[in-house]
Amino acid sequence: MSRILNSMRDGVGFDLILVGAAMVFLVALAGLPLVYNVVMSFQQVDMFTLGSLVRPFAGFTNYVAVVQQPEFWLVTKNTLIFVFASMAGQFIIGFALALFFAQNFPGAATIRGLFLVSWVMPGLVVGGIWSFILAGDYGVLNAILKGLGLTQATIFWKSDPNFSLWSVVIANIWLGLAFNMLLLSVGLAAIPRDLYEAAELDGANAFQRFWTITLPMMRPTIGAVLSLGLIGTLQQFDLFPALTEGGPANTSNVAGYWAWQMSFQLYDFAKGATISVMMFVLVLFASVVYVRSTRHEVRG
Amino acid sequence: MKLRTLGLMAGIALGALGMAVPAMAQTVIKVWSIDGANAPGVGDTLSKEFNDANTDIQIDYRIIQFDDIVNEALRAFATGNAPDIISLDNPDFALFSSRGAFLDITDRVAASSVIKTDNYFEGPLNSVMWDGKLYGVPKYTDTIALFYNKDLFEKAGIAEPPKTWGELVDTAAKLTDPSTNTYGITFSARAGEEGTFQFLPWIQMAGGGYENVNVPGAVEALDYWKAMVDSKSASQDVLSLGQWDSTGTFNSGNAAMAVSGPWELDRMVEDAKFDWGVALLPTQTEGGPRSSALGGFNYGIFANSKNPDEAFKVLEFFISQDERLFPDFSSLPARNDIALPETGIALKDAALKVFQEQLQYAQPRGPHPEWQKISKAIYDAMQAALTGQMSAKDALDQAQATIQGIVG
Repeated sequence: MSRILNSMRDGVGFDLILVGAAMVFLVALAGLPLVYNVVMSFQQVDMFTLGSLVRPFAGFTNYVAVVQQPEFWLVTKNTLIFVFASMAGQFIIGFALALFFAQNFPGAATIRGLFLVSWVMPGLVVGGIWSFILAGDYGVLNAILKGLGLTQATIFWKSDPNFSLWSVVIANIWLGLAFNMLLLSVGLAAIPRDLYEAAELDGANAFQRFWTITLPMMRPTIGAVLSLGLIGTLQQFDLFPALTEGGPANTSNVAGYWAWQMSFQLYDFAKGATISVMMFVLVLFASVVYVRSTRHEVRG
Repeated sequence: MKLRTLGLMAGIALGALGMAVPAMAQTVIKVWSIDGANAPGVGDTLSKEFNDANTDIQIDYRIIQFDDIVNEALRAFATGNAPDIISLDNPDFALFSSRGAFLDITDRVAASSVIKTDNYFEGPLNSVMWDGKLYGVPKYTDTIALFYNKDLFEKAGIAEPPKTWGELVDTAAKLTDPSTNTYGITFSARAGEEGTFQFLPWIQMAGGGYENVNVPGAVEALDYWKAMVDSKSASQDVLSLGQWDSTGTFNSGNAAMAVSGPWELDRMVEDAKFDWGVALLPTQTEGGPRSSALGGFNYGIFANSKNPDEAFKVLEFFISQDERLFPDFSSLPARNDIALPETGIALKDAALKVFQEQLQYAQPRGPHPEWQKISKAIYDAMQAALTGQMSAKDALDQAQATIQGIVG
């Protein structure tokens, strides 16, 4: 008995408790809802069966029905554009800013801190602000563009199918930029200074130093930032209702918002669940690709 | 997606907590509505008055936000915790009534001395009917008509508001003046229920309906709308503006006409610094069939209420106070036997007369249990045509195919 107690305080028992607690937490808060969601996508769900787990089995009819929706391919395309454009924008500008603030000019740390304001703000507020900026007739951005003489016509960012998705992308880049910059700054700070000094003595120019020292040393950080960016972008929701509501005619609708629309505006819970399972598979696929691509690397 | 499912579970857990109602001698009737969220409304005020005046029945009133009330009700019904009475936006009503989730009150109303179906406008009454049976009672209603800026009309030498669709497009073009940032007309063609709310009447005027959206007249109507956006008689932002913001541009003098409803009247009296009036929605041809959108809420009693008799008594009390709807709450009763008292504000009184007339032509959206999907098909088609992605005909044909799949 005392052996068991002992091992619980220090030994295998203690490890098991730690693992167990983590597993209970994971299963209860992530596993069960996930399984529930997958199960729901194979069932017929209506208001009479909403509260029970056992519902009529629907096979793949929900999946077939989702793919047959006229907007399915448009939403798929939009989702891919939204994810890649947002991630690319957030990452490239975020990296540029991180390098800029790594120059350690006076006040660099303080100004870098101020950039976090955009990340601290709730998505709905950010959406509201960008809604003002991107408004058509009385929008701030249009006033600036016209003032600079870049355009004479009014650009209807939120109502023109050519721009609607991009208006959300712009807002999303602004929202996620600071977070990217911060993580990348931390990565940059961890690279030993003497590497750069040695390279400089060997005559490497700024570009060579960036390409052969900064990028390889930043690899794990970049991987993490991109993974988090993918997750953050796929679950981005607040900006859509605040800016375009997926319109006009679904030209700015993405999978996450579409799933919400299905479940909570059209009350088709099964199709909502189906779309989110499809999203999950997409993320899973992306994760596998990411893990495989970094498997043989030596982590810094 | 995980968060949503979690939310659902949390909701169910909360619902279970709510079940533990303390035992009391009197009957407790649970009433849910959106009233009272921002300012005192019908539901909260009347519930309080009822509780003060009665001891055997008490109302347990709960405010729920507009965006949440249907989801909340679905969850509550699924877990057996539905309230006794709920008030819902009329297009959401059939979701419940068609499935027998609401109590059939046909016989109770027939025997009631307070609620008489003859007293109701046809549109609102249709929205609480399903399969010839009565599942609820209209609470209050509204509709849309054409606001117009009389000063701008006079300046442009136009004597009367347009009567036909063609005239509307011409008038809007004449009133448009980019030099003063004035559009001829504004409306809401948003990607949401408001978009359908504003466009469906045009389909109905052309002899179509929600189950028949690609009639030739509907294509013509959509082409007219597109012509107004293309010629910049209407801002392209009508595609993303809701009715409230859209009418805001009318109030500030940046649009000479606006399609909107009586909920604007108080703000317009305050904000609009010009002479304005309201006209019935223009029709396809002079003197052609009229239609308009039907807004407003309905009361329903849930079928699994344990105290349907008491719930019906509460409902009768609510309805007995209908005469106060307009003076106390600025809401329009859905009844033809209640004359609206004069407010003393000339513009508002004149406008209300037009809205009351327009209400006679108002038709409900649906009723159909899957209304929200039908609505999405309609506003998607409208937006696809207005942005030039599809022709009006193709867009409405596609919507019709989708709707056919839903209606069967």
